[in-house]
Amino acid sequence: MNEMDLRQTEIDELLRRSMNAPVPGLPPDFERRVMREVRRRAEPLDRRGRLFLAAYAVISAVISAMVMREQGLEWGTIAAAILAPLVLVVVARAVRRAACRPAPQSST
Amino acid sequence: MESDSQLVARAQGGDQQAFAELVRRHSAHVFRLALSVLGREFVPEAEDVAQEVFLKVHHALASFRGEAEFSSWVYRIAFNQAVNLKARVRFRSPHANDTALDRVAAPEPDPHRKAETAQRDRAIAECIGTLPEVYQSALRLYYWLGAGVVEVAELLGVPENTAKSYLHRARLLLHGMLKERGYSCE
Repeated sequence: MNEMDLRQTEIDELLRRSMNAPVPGLPPDFERRVMREVRRRAEPLDRRGRLFLAAYAVISAVISAMVMREQGLEWGTIAAAILAPLVLVVVARAVRRAACRPAPQSST
Repeated sequence: MESDSQLVARAQGGDQQAFAELVRRHSAHVFRLALSVLGREFVPEAEDVAQEVFLKVHHALASFRGEAEFSSWVYRIAFNQAVNLKARVRFRSPHANDTALDRVAAPEPDPHRKAETAQRDRAIAECIGTLPEVYQSALRLYYWLGAGVVEVAELLGVPENTAKSYLHRARLLLHGMLKERGYSCE
């Protein structure tokens, strides 16, 4: 046995002794907890949340329009500036949904 | 039994049962991998990592294209999540240190020898903590969690020979470090 093999054997035995300790496990309800959290996070906003979000969107759109108008922009440009990001979000979500849809299974 | 890819396809279509089955299949491995990164002192954190990994997986499931095995993808997320958490909890006092945990090995009857063994075990734990993350993880998986080389390779996402070489190099480095500190490995 050469020097390196000897070192490997020595440290191997030492580690087996030193690291020998009880192995913890996951609690039995782990999967249930994960699924509960998954469902909680997947829940859409409640009625109050939706109202708050809608109010925020409307107020910020109105204020943005007023500020842009004061800067002398045309209504058409203002509408495009506000609506373009929205359209982009809708298109991106539609593309993502289409990409994630599982391929139809063949009937054969 | 359905394959992972079939379950993934169903889960991507919104089937929660399929996702629950994926959690059932891989949770123990994810937890072991998190433990191997965090060590014995942070078992509750490893449990949190395991939960967080599956929430991340669920969130990112739509972007999973199946180019790699689902399990490899999950284990990679788990490893990164555990390493990130380790960086945050490093300076927090551990829940229990190595010597405070019951050892499975037979108790040492001689108090002097017991203290020596505890000191050496602490030195080993400290030395392991200075090794690169993958070496630490490989050592804990192999020596503490009882994983074989095949499982070490699978969890770390490397070929079997690489896992063997991680263990080999980690042992050599540890041998040198312990010798430097004046501990005999016999």
